[in-house]
Amino acid sequence: MNGNRVRALVKKELLDLARNPTALMPVAILTAFSLLLPFLVAVAIPALTDRGLDRDAGLSRISAAANPPAALSDAARVQFFLFQQFLVLFLLTPITGALVLAAHAVVGEKQARALEPLLATPITTLELLAAKLFGAAIPTFAISFVGLALYAGGILTFGLPGVALAMLNARSLLLVLWVSPAAGLVSLQSAVLISSRVNDPRTAQQWGVLIVAPLSGLVIAHLMGALSFSAPVLVLIGVGLFAVWLVLLLFSVALFDRETILTRWR
Amino acid sequence: MIAAQHLSRRFGSRTAVNDVTFEVARSEIVALLGPNGAGKTTTLRMLAGLIGPTSGTVAIGGVELTRATGTALRMRIGFLPEAPGLWDRLTVRENLRAYAGLYGLTDADGRIDRALDMLALSDRASTRSAELSKGMRQKVALVRTLLHEPAVLLLDEPTSGLDPEMTRSVRLLLEERRRAGCAILVSTHNLDEAQRLADRVAVLQERLVAIDRPADLRRRLTTGRLIIRLGGDPSPFLDTVRRLVGPTAEIAVERDSLVVHVARPDEQTPALVAALVAARASIMEIRAETAALEDVYLHLVENKGPGDL
Repeated sequence: MNGNRVRALVKKELLDLARNPTALMPVAILTAFSLLLPFLVAVAIPALTDRGLDRDAGLSRISAAANPPAALSDAARVQFFLFQQFLVLFLLTPITGALVLAAHAVVGEKQARALEPLLATPITTLELLAAKLFGAAIPTFAISFVGLALYAGGILTFGLPGVALAMLNARSLLLVLWVSPAAGLVSLQSAVLISSRVNDPRTAQQWGVLIVAPLSGLVIAHLMGALSFSAPVLVLIGVGLFAVWLVLLLFSVALFDRETILTRWR
Repeated sequence: MIAAQHLSRRFGSRTAVNDVTFEVARSEIVALLGPNGAGKTTTLRMLAGLIGPTSGTVAIGGVELTRATGTALRMRIGFLPEAPGLWDRLTVRENLRAYAGLYGLTDADGRIDRALDMLALSDRASTRSAELSKGMRQKVALVRTLLHEPAVLLLDEPTSGLDPEMTRSVRLLLEERRRAGCAILVSTHNLDEAQRLADRVAVLQERLVAIDRPADLRRRLTTGRLIIRLGGDPSPFLDTVRRLVGPTAEIAVERDSLVVHVARPDEQTPALVAALVAARASIMEIRAETAALEDVYLHLVENKGPGDL
């Protein structure tokens, strides 16, 4: 693989996106939602109603069962539990990025008639697909990490004493630095694969529902408390997702049919 | 430099290209003519390695084009598709810089500046592609094709949408590339351009109908008419000519010329000249009328072959 060719195409992707920032709006909006909702539930509503989080018996029971640090007060324990649960919302950012950016990766070039001169260059299929993936992943992950930084800063600023420090645990770190990027790569790669097999971006986005549905289901189940992953389980989930991503990448290369892409519109 | 051997390409039950064999040498321009749907674009795509032939082979510089050799060979090929295919939101320079990166070119900006200057596009370097006219986009696409100085050029209608001045600049550019040693295959509908530019013309209609130099192609479709331009009124010399060609032969006076239909030009022309000289005619010019390339082309595509050429 020639890194220079990949870099040249990634630069072009990022430049193109910089000229069309509204394409990132859905990703930014979802990240903002993921950021605001936890603070609304865990900080703003208790403050406005003057009703501490520990006054909710159900939440107190669930948060106690989740093995929180012993040094936290009852209210802080519930707040810590909520912030930890809502952390999984940030998984939705790369999924959205997959739908709005990666879905256009190949089929968008085809529609603009820009794919043919691109394929006439020495770029290999692997390099092309890698560049398309990174071109969507870089801005998506950048927005996601900015959101997470703001999340951490918000907890530090508005959270109850001890909550911010308690958030620095293996589960949180694994979710943010291991599982989330892996899930993002799987979503984005799936979208690039779909994009190379359809004839228009709308069809690519419709097929993208197949990516969104299972991952969104996992997020909701986790939020509802129906699913809870320990740190070792998160490690394994991350390993599994990275393996899926590599398989998807190889599958994308194998399925990339230059001739069909160039000559057929049905 | 470019060698196509028994190239065929089928799409399902439809045959787009059927058993085409030809070569393009270094420092040669071959124009590829044919009606819409004749297989010109498909042939160019096979030569560029974009699609594979159903059967047959392509060789570039003596190296067969395969999946294994494709990446290396595409470094030596410049392919201009029918649509410019520029990235709309990027400027001209940014489009070209991206391609310079894909070809691994050093001093990209220097090369881009020189290339833009060649086609009088320097003042458009910072213009977004979406804001360019159709002709300008085509020129930028041509600059993109030439940026890595390929040894082989495959151009699909390079002057499509260009005004006469731009068409001339493209022609001069291609002539310069030919002098530099490029092997150039140009697909075009413009017969005048083919005649002016090409060393040889290939007529394609699913299969290769004919390939030859433009003048030789035209000579093959003779009208059988001899035009003799005389100094003064040609009418007094009608009888002289009729005695030689026979009473039923077609002879006409057109202004200062005698137009004679001859069945055997190689035999009859010297005798006609000698007779007219003996009759004290002032012969200014004598030539065999040849068909226009357009007539040859139409004859070939309608008959799908040399026919009576």
